[in-house]
Formats: sequence, structure tokens, C-alpha cells
Amino acid sequence: MSTVIQETPVDVVCLGVGFMSGVVATELALAGNSVVGITKGPYWDYVNDYSTTKYDEWGVGLGRKYDSPLPLQSTTIRNDSSQFALPVRRYTMPIQYHALGHGVGGAAQHYGGGMGRFGPWAYEMAKRTSSAYGAGFLASINPQDDTHDWPLTYAQYEPYYVEWEKAHGICGNYNGSPTNSSSDVNYPWMSQNYPLPPHPMTPLAQLFQSTVQGMTAPNGQKYNPFPSVSALSSQPYTNQYGVAVNPCVYDGYCGGLCDYACETGAKANAAYRTIPAAIKSGNFTLVTNAYIYRLELNPSGNQVVAAHYYDAQGNDHRQPGTVFFNGMWGYNMVRLMLLSGLGTPYVYNSGTGTGTGTVGRGLTNGYTPYRGTNVSGTVNIGGNSYPAGNGSGGGVSVFDLMDDNFSHTNISPPFIGGGLFGAGGYLGGGPGNITFAGGVSAPNATNPNGAMGSAFKVTQQNKYLPTKQSVGATPFAPDLPTFMNYIDLDPHYTDAYGDPVSRLTYDWTPNTYNGATYLVNQIKAILTQMGATSVTVGATVAPYSAHNDWWGHHLRGGLRIGTDPNAGTATAWAALSGYNQLYYNSNTSGFNYFAAGEITNTTGNNATAGTHAAGPQSYRAAEGIKKYLANVATNVNYLSS
Amino acid sequence: MVSQTRREFLKLGLAAAASAAAASGIEIPLLGNQNSNLQNQLNSANTQVTNLKTKLNTVTGFVSLNISEQSLLESIVETIIPSDSTGPGAKEAGVIYFIDRALAGDYGQSANMFMDAPHNPPRTPASAGPLTVKPSTAWAFLQNYQQTAYLPAGGGGGVGAANPIPYPGASRTYTAGGTNYTVVYGVTASPRVGSGINYQYPVNMREFWRISLAALQAYSKKYYSGNYQTLSSANQLQVLKDLWANTPKTQTNPPPPADDLTGFSNILPSDFAYELTFMTWAGFLMDPLYGGNQNMVGWDYVGFNGVNFGNFYGEGLDQKTLMVASSPTKLKPASLAQYQQQATGGA
Repeated sequence: MSTVIQETPVDVVCLGVGFMSGVVATELALAGNSVVGITKGPYWDYVNDYSTTKYDEWGVGLGRKYDSPLPLQSTTIRNDSSQFALPVRRYTMPIQYHALGHGVGGAAQHYGGGMGRFGPWAYEMAKRTSSAYGAGFLASINPQDDTHDWPLTYAQYEPYYVEWEKAHGICGNYNGSPTNSSSDVNYPWMSQNYPLPPHPMTPLAQLFQSTVQGMTAPNGQKYNPFPSVSALSSQPYTNQYGVAVNPCVYDGYCGGLCDYACETGAKANAAYRTIPAAIKSGNFTLVTNAYIYRLELNPSGNQVVAAHYYDAQGNDHRQPGTVFFNGMWGYNMVRLMLLSGLGTPYVYNSGTGTGTGTVGRGLTNGYTPYRGTNVSGTVNIGGNSYPAGNGSGGGVSVFDLMDDNFSHTNISPPFIGGGLFGAGGYLGGGPGNITFAGGVSAPNATNPNGAMGSAFKVTQQNKYLPTKQSVGATPFAPDLPTFMNYIDLDPHYTDAYGDPVSRLTYDWTPNTYNGATYLVNQIKAILTQMGATSVTVGATVAPYSAHNDWWGHHLRGGLRIGTDPNAGTATAWAALSGYNQLYYNSNTSGFNYFAAGEITNTTGNNATAGTHAAGPQSYRAAEGIKKYLANVATNVNYLSS
Repeated sequence: MVSQTRREFLKLGLAAAASAAAASGIEIPLLGNQNSNLQNQLNSANTQVTNLKTKLNTVTGFVSLNISEQSLLESIVETIIPSDSTGPGAKEAGVIYFIDRALAGDYGQSANMFMDAPHNPPRTPASAGPLTVKPSTAWAFLQNYQQTAYLPAGGGGGVGAANPIPYPGASRTYTAGGTNYTVVYGVTASPRVGSGINYQYPVNMREFWRISLAALQAYSKKYYSGNYQTLSSANQLQVLKDLWANTPKTQTNPPPPADDLTGFSNILPSDFAYELTFMTWAGFLMDPLYGGNQNMVGWDYVGFNGVNFGNFYGEGLDQKTLMVASSPTKLKPASLAQYQQQATGGA
């Protein structure tokens, strides 16, 4: 074994260089601190890396050439704790949700750019549900319920949202709140508008907007439609760090299944929004192609003193620091902590239906359930269905079917929350998305020969030049944390270096698909009012019947922040309890989140994984780190509150 | 439309070009017949050069498929996407070459797949009993290091004979929302076809195709009385449907045993049917760069424009406008190679 290469100690070590570390590294470097960012992949330079070779659907969309290589590290998944967890073996179409990001920018290389805010309800889901529907309600609808509220309210996060949206050039026009006032607790009030205007609206979006404006929502008020919020800049822009941003050119190869990196830098990503400013400051060192495998603790085990990583040649490095910020993808963040003996591992007891410990606890999902029901219809609006112009713009959304914006009393089956719905995003995707996603399946009632033979072939003719389009939704209400869904280390499978991979134990909770039963009828009414024909509600798929992985990696939870140290692992500053110099943040940091089902041209449109709430939390963490560094010499725990 | 193979098409195209050259050919009167001969030889040489250049730019050979696989797979892909009255199919698109190249490259080598043991193929018979798998060395070490913090309690996927992992073929019942649900996993609840956890085989993709193609042929011979290539179109389609359904042909008298798909061993036939269908459509619709979708016939058929964003051939349109249109505009597709040539000034 080679000698360990000792790196120079720095103030802040960022583990992973995606959205979250982008904010923390930039904020801290600009404040004069020495910062190192370590990522297992390269620095993708969109001008050189994407401008010509990204239009390669086989390589990018299916081969995942910009994504994390599975031979380096996979993960295993199962639906409940009694099963043997199967490893993710490959990237396939149509479902690519297992692909993690690789390099600077991380998973933002392949997201659609949906970037709306959480509503106030999401931060206080447990408290508000208890208050509105009774103390035992959550436990009665959510088996082995483990829901906890965020430590801060929406109002406290609002300034961080503003900073996040300014940094990343978010496009939109308020959030559909009837009053946009801080007293309007059911909608995410905004102290200032999104920094950029929305993208041009499609004809379907206009139809949806004008239709719902004339309709009464379940709360008895008119619907309040607003332009879908997008993280793709609609105009040239310079953010608060002086980073210039090019606008979207609608060249496509963007949406569909969120396969594509952005060749103009219009799609928000740490590589094109924050990290350039950190580098320019002269205080930031970027370490690429470096695989972090351990955090080193001090002898008493209450401080992190160094991060260990392998470089591309296999050399072993030791990077000491004063503060460590974990900005990895959710379950990798948890995995590194478990590998390093940091925090208390979560252990589930299937006998009692409860668990102990916190690291790995509270895994939830933000993607359309495989179960539940859906609704679809057809409208006589055509379009150009070739590569979608833009992954997240062009549509119109409503908040009125979300959160507690309507009464859930006496709804059967019972559920809480709801979904963000929208319609009219730009059509299309590459053939890998449209043809494979909808086509390659076993023979069934619709296609007796499956995707084979002349009868199926003719259904693909001119498919990208539709004269009408289907509209519909596979809605779902929020997935709720339970004791039975969690992250731990897999006993059998290891990464390329011989360390255990993460094991995800997850299945949808009843709240997700019970919500669908109610929501489809609201959406059905909208579709009918829009003039859609053949509006059909699908059969409800029975719960708990199949071992499947459709939930992919749009996961949240696993390392929650909160006021209850027995349930969460970190303080409101995102500092780990008992280790007040380590911070973490990622897509999984939230206790709760909103679920987003949308009415789109494809059913089951996804919510970009959790960046909505993790983003503001990264600013909160940066602020906490600044406080800590300013006071570290006095050894006072400034973050205990 | 009459279907043509690519090679036939080339021959026709070249013949037409030769006629045109002859019609407008330069004549040198002083040399008479001798000149005519020279002219003919020149034309012939030019034709051969053009022919060779075209061949060099178009995939027509095999680097992975063996002789029997070539002919079998050619029939299969033409079954999946036939050349018919609506337009060209897998044959004209050169799908077979796309698959051949893929099998010879990363796809066939499973280069970007996680291939570590243990493997749990979905057709492991229940009679094999519960799977017993040893923990990895690092995991066992961590248990010791961290005072068994992760050792699961109860039936939670434990390790070793005392606490075997109940996979596949076991079930358990639990209650949610006042209703009892039974979870069955293993053979009866194999992962969704085409999912990331679907491929649990211990062999790489090239081997998977080799085993499965041979098994398909053996199945065809046994239950349809002939090589796949010789079957009627209807039976060719039926063989593939049998694979998708994981059931052998039921009309045979006596009916074969329920799991008799000759030679597939532990490979789930529907897993292979998925690969066949998926790769055939990929060969029809991915960029010509990968050997299929030749002359962009696949894109033309589905109305996909490749990397023509509205002005590639000087159409004067822009995609920002096209994306908010309420009716479609057909554009001539452009390939990635064409795009790169234009973007780099033809360098």
C-alpha cells in the first residue's frame, strides 16, 4: 500500500461538488476562507464537453456517459426489510432514475430543471395535520409513522430561498398565491419575485390556464394558475456572484426523461452558477476524480479531522480541515457516515415496527408511485414533439391541489397533502424517451404483439409530429416517513474498493396512492373542462404486490434535520448533533417535501429531486459554518440552538 | 414502397450515376474508339472509387456476430420492425449492424454494468432453497468495528444458515391501514422488465445474447419444426411472443413442461425478448453514428429531426417558435456527424 499523501489543512472541506457544495464552497471562499471541494468525477465544461457530443441519445441518454459509473459504485434496493436486496446492475431505458451524477454539478447534469418552492405546510406537516384532523390521524393513515417537522418554518427559510433563486437564475412569476402575502399560509409567499421571467407558454398551457381560471378548486376558490417554475434561464443573467449565465436556446435534448446536460449553461448547475465564482476567488481548490471513502475522527470520536480519498491513480490522500460539509447525493452521504462510524446508525426492528438510531432513517421518495391510479385524455392541439425545447418551462401549474390547500376531512381513502399540477410543458424527447419509454413492453391488450410487427410499427409513424396530444396525470400525495423505509449498508455487495454499498429499503406508503384516488377526479374535471376527449381514469393498482424499483433514486430523508435528536441527526443549522463542525446537506435533508404530480403530455412527470428545499438549507448551512468558523477558537457551541 | 436492401439500393444508385456520366461524358473525337474505351475505363474506375468510399462510410460487416447468429438475428430484427407498405424497416436501417457493434463494444462487455457476485437470476428454482450468501469482508469488519450496530434484528435479511435470506420464493404478511397484505417476492415478483435491477445474470451481455440466440433457435426447431429463418412471418412473431410470455408453444401435443424453454437455462426468456425488442428499436432510431438508422430512415419514419433545430438546411425556422406551435412542422433530419461537420466548419 502506498503512503498516504498529506494535503494542506483548510478551513472547509466540501465532500462532493454538486448544488449544495456549490453554494457552501462559494459562500465560504468569497468570505475569505480556504475551501477544498472533492468530487469523484471530472469538471464538465459545457462549452467543450457538451456543445457537440451531447446530441447523442445513445451515449448520453442510454449509455449515461456523463453519469456515475456503476462498476465504481452501485447500490442495492428492496421493497421491505425481509427481502434480499438486489443491486442495480445497469442503466436502462425507459427508467433511468438510478443514474447518479458524476463530477462538478453532480446529478444536475441530468435533471429537468423543475425548481419550485415548498409551501409552508410542508415544513409543519405533522403539526398542522394534528391540529386540523386530530392527534392520531397521521399514525392512522401511515403505518409505522415516523413523520417529524422541520426545525424551521417556511417564513424562516424564505430569505434563503431568495438567495438560492438569485444564485441559480430561477424563472417564474410568483407562485399562484391569491394574495402573495406572508399571511397566506397555504401558498409559498415570496418576498420578491423570481429573478427571471417565465419561458414562452405553449398552446396547451394557455388552454389549461384559461380553463382553470374559470373553475372552482376544492377549497371553494377559483384556481390560481401560474407559470411553471424553471431552473433554465429564460434571459441572459448575471447572479450575485458575478457569474454570467446564457439563456436557454430551446435546442432540445433537454427534457423527456431529464437525460441531458445543457450545452449553453442555461440549466442551473453548480458548475455554471456557483463554482466559477469560488474558483475566481482564489480561495477554492477543486479536486476532481477523487473518490472519498472515509471521514477520519479524532480519538474521542466527536470531531471529524480529515477526509480520505483515492485519486485517479489509486493514491491515498488525507485532507484535514476545520469544517466538513457533506454535499453528496443523499444515500452516498449516509453511506459515508456509516462507513466512518459517524452518528448513530439507524436499525429497523421489523418485529416491533420501530427503529433506533438516526443515520439512514426516514427514507422517502419524490416520484410517482407505481401504484394507485391515473387519468388521461386527448386534446386536439398538435405540436413538434421532437427533442423537447426545454425540460421544465412552457407550462402552467396550480398549487390549489397541494398541501392542505383544501379540506381532507371525510375523504376516503384518507390521505394528507396533495400535488402540484401543471400542464403544457414543451413536448417531446428523443426517440429513446418517446418510443422506448412508451413502446418496449410485453405484449398487452393495447399492443397484442408488444413493440413488434407492422401493427405496432405504424403507431410510431410520424409520432414526433402529433396533430393532437394526450394529457393526463399519475398524481400522488406526499410520501410519508415510516420506520420501515431506510438506508443502511449492504451486507454483500461492495464498491470497486471493497467497501459496502448502500442498501435502500423502500416501498411507497399508502398516502401516495390513496391521494391519487382523490386527485384523479379533480384532474378529470379539469381535463373534461379543457375539452379533452376519451378522459379515462385508470384502475387502481393494488398495493404491496411487486418487487420493483420504479421509484428510482428521487429519494429524500435518511439524515434528517430537526429539533428532536432522537429522530433527526442534526440541528437546525444542519450541523450534526454532537459533531458541531460537520455539516451536511443534500437532496435528502428534508423531513418532508411536497409531491408533484403534473398534468403533462406524458403521464407521471417527475419532480426534480428535492433541490427545492435542500437548496435553501445549503444557504442556512453556509451561514452556520461562517458562525462556527468565526467562533471556533473559543470552543463554544454556537449552534446548539 | 418496394423494400430494398441497402446494398441493392447502392447498386441501383450507382447504375443511375453511370448512365448519367455516359450521357454527359466528355468526348475526345480524335482518338475515336480508343478514347471511348478509355472513357469507359475511367468511368468504371470512378464508379469503383465511389462505391468503395460509400462502403467505407457505411457499416456492412460484422465484428461480433458469428455466421449463424447473423442470419438468425437478421430475421428477428426484420420480424420486430418489418419493411412494409408504410416504410422501411430494420433491414434498411441496418439494425443488425447496430446490434453487432453494440455487442462488440461496451454493451456486449457489460462495461458500464455492476457485475459483481452474488448473482440471483430470476429463474433460480424454489427447490434450490433459501439463498445463503456470505457477507462481504468489509461489511463483516464494520460489524465488529462498530459493535454489531448494523446486525439486523428478527427476519431482517440476516446472514448465514441460522438466519437465511428468504429469496426467492418466500412471502410474508403484514398489516397496513387495517388491511393485511402478503408480500411475495422471488420468481413470482421478478423485477420489472427493463429496470435497473432486472439483469442479475453472472454473464456479460455478449454471452447472454450468445446463449439466448442459440436457445431461441433450438426452441424454434423443437416447437415450430424449423430454423427461425424458415418460419412463416406469423410464426416468427409467435416465437418472440412466446419468449415475452415465458411460455412455450402450447399447441404442441403433448404440451411441453411449463418451464421448458430449451436451452435458456436460468435466463428468463422475457429478459431476452426485452433486449431484442429494445436493441432493435435502438438500431432503428439512434444516431447513424452507431451503425443503425442508416440514411436516417428510422428518423424519417417517425418524423424525428435529429439535430436539425429548424435551420440546419437553411429553413429559416427557430426552435423557440417551433416549441410553442400548435401544429407540427416536418423537417429533414440531420445526423450528429453532419451537425459536427457544420459546427466545426467541416474540419
